[in-house]
Amino acid sequence: MFDRLRDFVTKIKPNFVEGGKYAWLQSTFEAFETFAFTPNTVTRRGSHVRDAVDMKRAMITVVIALLPALLFGMWNTGYQTSLVAEWWPYELGSAASWWYCLWFGFLRMLPLIVVSYLVGLGIEFMFAQIRHHEVNEGYLVTGLIIPMIVPVTTPLWQLALAVAFAVVLGKEVFGGSGMNFLNPALVARAFLFFSYPTHMSGDSVWIAADLWGSDAIAGATPLGELAAGVMPAASVWDMLVGTIPGSTCETSVIAILLGALVLLVSGIANWRTMLAVMLGGGAMGLLFNLIGANAYMELPFYYHFLLGGFMFGAVFMATDPVTSAQTNAGKWIYGLLIGAFAVLLRVLNPAYPEGMMLSILLMNCFAPLIDHCVVARNIKRREKRALLRRKEAEL
Amino acid sequence: MNTIRIKQGLDLPLTGSAVCSLGEASGIDTYAVKPGDYVGLVPRLLVEEGALVKCGDALVCDKQDERIRLTSPVAGRVTAVIRGEKRKLLAVVVKREGESEGCVCSTTDVRMAMLQTGLWAMLRQRPFGTIANPDDRPKAIVVSAFDSAPLAPDYDYMLQGREEDFCNGLRALASLTDGVLHVCFRPGQQLAAAVQGQNGLRAEYHCVEGPHPAGNVGTQIARLCPIDKGDRVWTMNPQDVALLGCLMRTGVYRPERMVAVVGPSAKHPQYYRLVAGACVSSLVSDQLADGNSVRVLSGNVLCGTNIGAGGYLSGYDSMVTLLPEGDYYDFMGWLLPGVHKHSFSRTFLCGFAPRSSRVQRWLKPRFDTNRHGDVRPFVFTGNFEKVFPFDIYPLQLIKACLVGDMELQEKLGIYEVEPEDFALCEYIDVSKTDIQPIIREALEKLRKEAL
Repeated sequence: MFDRLRDFVTKIKPNFVEGGKYAWLQSTFEAFETFAFTPNTVTRRGSHVRDAVDMKRAMITVVIALLPALLFGMWNTGYQTSLVAEWWPYELGSAASWWYCLWFGFLRMLPLIVVSYLVGLGIEFMFAQIRHHEVNEGYLVTGLIIPMIVPVTTPLWQLALAVAFAVVLGKEVFGGSGMNFLNPALVARAFLFFSYPTHMSGDSVWIAADLWGSDAIAGATPLGELAAGVMPAASVWDMLVGTIPGSTCETSVIAILLGALVLLVSGIANWRTMLAVMLGGGAMGLLFNLIGANAYMELPFYYHFLLGGFMFGAVFMATDPVTSAQTNAGKWIYGLLIGAFAVLLRVLNPAYPEGMMLSILLMNCFAPLIDHCVVARNIKRREKRALLRRKEAEL
Repeated sequence: MNTIRIKQGLDLPLTGSAVCSLGEASGIDTYAVKPGDYVGLVPRLLVEEGALVKCGDALVCDKQDERIRLTSPVAGRVTAVIRGEKRKLLAVVVKREGESEGCVCSTTDVRMAMLQTGLWAMLRQRPFGTIANPDDRPKAIVVSAFDSAPLAPDYDYMLQGREEDFCNGLRALASLTDGVLHVCFRPGQQLAAAVQGQNGLRAEYHCVEGPHPAGNVGTQIARLCPIDKGDRVWTMNPQDVALLGCLMRTGVYRPERMVAVVGPSAKHPQYYRLVAGACVSSLVSDQLADGNSVRVLSGNVLCGTNIGAGGYLSGYDSMVTLLPEGDYYDFMGWLLPGVHKHSFSRTFLCGFAPRSSRVQRWLKPRFDTNRHGDVRPFVFTGNFEKVFPFDIYPLQLIKACLVGDMELQEKLGIYEVEPEDFALCEYIDVSKTDIQPIIREALEKLRKEAL
């Protein structure tokens, strides 16, 4: 069957190359062809054998790492509604209700995911065609992350706008995946946050009222409660498991850690960044504990890991290899500062309950500077060595 | 003997390493000298088609320094002068006529003897990888007495019975430098014992352990005597050192060398005794099962040259690798578990297997020339460092080469590397960039700038 499919693809291929009937669809065709078949290209220059991993495989590994958080997020979307909606058809705690939570969340999340992929990939395909490039796989991950970090009630048109903004101004103007300096998913999130603050924060966006539309039922996130000066009502266990209101898939620390495991074992993400973000956040939390000027400052430091998007950011967004620092030493500094700034913003500026997004975007901007300093040290070391040798030779 | 431990690196579990037996190499009668094997050499042709030459007669010399000559490895007749685009001289082919006695020369002066016989061309300098300049006094000479590349031949076997010559060669090399002669062995190498027993050999010995590229001379130089701008370090392959030793002992130059024919496509991988520049076609047809599409490489799979089934052994190589071509489509290749693949990352099932040879043999990872994906911009970072044992930032250096910023390249330490040092980075690269050519082009530009 595969052979027959291959023959078919080979047969229609001439239509899609330069001069063919559908040459304007060349990039699209190539994207789908290489999606089905790893191409038969052989090495020409350089090493004759190559590692089996390619960008598609690497990106699909990240998507796999996102799955636990995504599935839990779907279930939790339904679960949050079931807790407060009067129309919920099943008895709370029953198996039927459990499954209906997942189904409800799936139906709520599906339009978000579809819109994100359609708009984002549409723009990507367009740019690829205009540039005569191949379509880059980066958006497979970005397109899934964006619906995972917004409130479930985000209107689809807002999401579409944010995605378009992020892909065009966050990525394509710099030359596409690999050339951007800001994490595109966070650019989309920031666009939403600053353009439509009423839809992105407050107490009335986190819980979907019904299966359709963007109506919401009031319900505060623990982070929102803290910003208002109240200790969160949810227990540590709830926050660890993730059965709290929040952005669709950011709530469960356990599901996110499962994803972290996939990323670290496969070697796709760098453990240094993840660990450094945790250390930075923890240290800043402890520092505030020492000051202890108000209730927020006295919050045990580990709460910061459980609240809001800290974990999701540390695992999936700070580790974005393109926008993070590129040297290993740089990754430590980059991660530490992200963690520290995230907690700093949370505690000192209640107007921005979620410091993680801003903190990562800020450090995205500084990542090249960090790398520059790290590399400069290496350069200086080499110059010093040469100087020392020259002196020795003179003696 | 002090020990140097290399942590970063990767050994590729290819099948088809040579067994320690000597095959009969019969029916080889054409030999070629390929100026393209020698970096930076501008060839001037010294013979015409049809000319009779003896072993050691110059076929080609370097226009920039006529003392540097590429000589005929056998006595015979020049049957072809092969030229490529823009009349670039690709090869001078000599057909053997009669038995070659070797080239006799005076051995009072090492330098003169090497220049006269053409053995000088085997002496390379770092940086740039060009043939050494006879007027230089290098700050050190480094000889790596082993090769750690995939399917690399075993120098203990290849130099068996020639240990004395190897030591003589080292002695001769030591006289070419005011600095130190470094010789690097792998742990447990028999050759080390033979060499260390020698009296009056002015050399330092090192044991280098770890995965490939531990045997690359570049890795060793970086640990022993890192190269700064203006420095010169010379290197020579062990077999050529033995040739030099033989030349100094007997006064006769015979460019014979052992060559391992290896690779996944080789039926019975083993060693052959050949003359430099030999045509490999009869060996290849001997080794191949019929009907396979195979790439014939002079050198190893990471940085060898594709010479084709009728090609000639390249100047510096001691192995011929037969690698299956990979021009097939892989249905959903990026999605399937991937048991019979090989990846440095653990994104495939095979990545979880222990690196022990028994498990790998059972898994039969498929190595061929398929690129396994399309070229993309650099996205992933921090991976190159795991296989790159230098105090250099590899990605930053590659990018400096791509944008052609020579000053930055110098600062980042380009003089310490050769393309082969980046071979493993290129292998594991997710974005499938051809890194070795990028480094070579940058080095060539720097070299021409310095002229």
